[in-house]
Amino acid sequence: MAWLLVQLKVRLLVNALRSSNSAKATFITSTIFAGLTAIATFLLLSAFRGQAASVYVTSVIFTLFAFGWLILPIFVFGLDSTLDPATLALYPLRTRPLATGLLAASATGAWPLANVLGLLGVTVGLASGASGLIIAVIAVPLQVLFCITLARLVTTGMAGLLRSRRGKDLAVFLFIPLFVLYEVFTQVVPAEAAGRKLSAASFHGLDSWLRWLPPGLAAHAIQDASDGHLGTALLRLALLAAVIVGLGWLWVSMLSRALVTSDTTTQSSRVRNTALPLARFGLRGAVIARFWVYQRREPASFANWAIAAVVMAAISIRALITQGGHPAFVLASAIFGAAFIGYFHSNAAGLTGPPFVLEAMALTGRRELRSYFAGQNLVLAVIGVPLLTLVSFGLAVLAKRPEFGFLGVAVGLAGLGAALALSNLLTVALPYPMDKKAGRPMRRASQGYGLSGFLGVFGCLIGVGLACVPMIVAVVSTSATPATIRMPVLIVVGAVYGYLLALAGVRIAAVAVESKMPELCQAAIRSKL
Amino acid sequence: MGEPAIVVRGLRKRFGAKEAVAGIDLEIAAGSLAGLVGPNGAGKTTSLSMMTGLLRPDEGQILIDGLSVWADPPAVKAIIGVVPDQPWLFDRLSGSELLEYAGRLRGLAADEARSRATQLLDVLDLTADAKRLVADYSTGMRKKAALGCALIHNPSVLFLDEPLEGVDPISADVIRRLLTRYTSSGSTVLFSSHVMELVEQVCDHVSIIDKGTIVATGTTEQVRGGKTLQQAFVDLVGPRAGGEEGLSWLGSSSS
Repeated sequence: MAWLLVQLKVRLLVNALRSSNSAKATFITSTIFAGLTAIATFLLLSAFRGQAASVYVTSVIFTLFAFGWLILPIFVFGLDSTLDPATLALYPLRTRPLATGLLAASATGAWPLANVLGLLGVTVGLASGASGLIIAVIAVPLQVLFCITLARLVTTGMAGLLRSRRGKDLAVFLFIPLFVLYEVFTQVVPAEAAGRKLSAASFHGLDSWLRWLPPGLAAHAIQDASDGHLGTALLRLALLAAVIVGLGWLWVSMLSRALVTSDTTTQSSRVRNTALPLARFGLRGAVIARFWVYQRREPASFANWAIAAVVMAAISIRALITQGGHPAFVLASAIFGAAFIGYFHSNAAGLTGPPFVLEAMALTGRRELRSYFAGQNLVLAVIGVPLLTLVSFGLAVLAKRPEFGFLGVAVGLAGLGAALALSNLLTVALPYPMDKKAGRPMRRASQGYGLSGFLGVFGCLIGVGLACVPMIVAVVSTSATPATIRMPVLIVVGAVYGYLLALAGVRIAAVAVESKMPELCQAAIRSKL
Repeated sequence: MGEPAIVVRGLRKRFGAKEAVAGIDLEIAAGSLAGLVGPNGAGKTTSLSMMTGLLRPDEGQILIDGLSVWADPPAVKAIIGVVPDQPWLFDRLSGSELLEYAGRLRGLAADEARSRATQLLDVLDLTADAKRLVADYSTGMRKKAALGCALIHNPSVLFLDEPLEGVDPISADVIRRLLTRYTSSGSTVLFSSHVMELVEQVCDHVSIIDKGTIVATGTTEQVRGGKTLQQAFVDLVGPRAGGEEGLSWLGSSSS
């Protein structure tokens, strides 16, 4: 059974190479990335040789890998058929051989191998002496086995949920903290390390907690064996092995239950009100009501806002930490934030998907089309303006120059107006179908439309940047003016300028879309969301 | 035969080398419940998409209640309702929110839209699920919700693409009764299907499409020609089954 499931996993991996170009590219990129991760991890763990803090870093890295194994299967659930026990429920398989097979299938592939090879960096960095080396060679596979068992337990326990609409929503929401963690790791950590505020010893506090978790046990076992405390090391490894056996037992019993338990798709959520709001405001009110509801209930919309906020912060935070306060960083952050808000809505038909046709069938005149674009823009502005304000002032406070927040808001308002106008125009000029594949929380341009998606991003970035030039000139040229006059005037000018741009966008898009509605409908129908 | 509600002349559509619709002529009288039947890939969905203004034809003319679909798309969209093959619904709205939204999009006052939505949900047997998100609806419920959206503005012509595919018998009966009631008041329905029994039961007019052309059209009696519609269809389109010689083991319990 184990060999059969390993063969199944290998076949699935090989088939990825034979399928669509995008699947092939994803597989190759993933394999290359796994190789690079293995090399980087090995080098990182080796780099702390002879340092007392080596064990702290190892403990943290081991825990990070376990965390990755815990989280990632939730995203790739729909991609790896061997993760879902329901796919095998129809076959006459007994639980124990099935469990062994699923475990073996999990251990097959580039990533598990990359984990083992990368973590073996401890043989250079942390281990010393023969007993240290032997314990390291045992501890690393045990750590990877712990990760795999943990991942299997979580995915089996959550299989019903992950198959359901709610589970897919959950995966999108989980993506947000991960994206924040990634940005912190790539922006703040290098900045802190460059400023010598972060060193290996900084992980000591973290390790005092992590050392009692299974990955910490593995790291400290190697340290103990290297220090000559072989007994303690073996005790730690025995404890780790017991945890793995316990998790395995829990998983097997969960697996036998999961094979005969219905998923949670039958339990559905109810909304409180039966009526849509804004009844008095006609078609525009209806569009606003629907779009507003979607910003709350559609996880991808929520994720877009979170990404815009994180991108805004990430653009400037490193510079603000390392180089101190300069208004340019806050302005750049506002421009990027506005551009991303525009990009995320620059293909309304493809983004809405097939239901767009329901709207298209009713948008029968120029007035109705203006209401459609204006209604959506209004919702985006209601969320976008406070977001831009909050992040601008947050960054300004971080730079210890709160007054920069006003400048960020002024440029942000102009940028948001330009972004909304561009998103309306791009919706009409460049409609393309979008996909939301299993394991990917974000919507992307469908295969063959990558260039359209690319043009959308750069169209918004360049367009918003250019549209903000007059505001930047105004900010720079008024630097000598007293702040009490300068700030309110700049904010009013930014708001009026942004409003006029957005208004122009709505009017032009409403005229242009009349002759292009069938193309927009086709892009919407071909979207798979 | 009454005034034609749907007139199609010389309709053509090509996708690359494949001619999906190769010159269709069709006339459906007002008040008809008409069926467009054909095998998979015959051009049913492409034809309906062009008739409803969603896909630009290469050639041809389509008139709905005398209005040209491609000369004045907004005017035609205002008087038709469409239920697509895979219902296109805002699935993060509840059933009642969805129908109200469809009504308000069509220019109904909010009160009127809510009132009609409530009545339609009742007739479609969705009242108990009115507050549930459409994302959690079954296939049959989604089809019924899509039908509600298509009817809320009381269109004069209704287009349905495979309306009963994947629908349970109870929901199918609800949909069937609603369509019969709708056409009895003089409104017109054109639906595509490959379920011959259904078409034979409910339709007074049938057109058979194969390889992008209409191979037979007329009243159901005329097209059947004394046979069952299924038999008439197979005779016109031709059987497409493969050889079954290789399945000698099938049916034995000795594995």
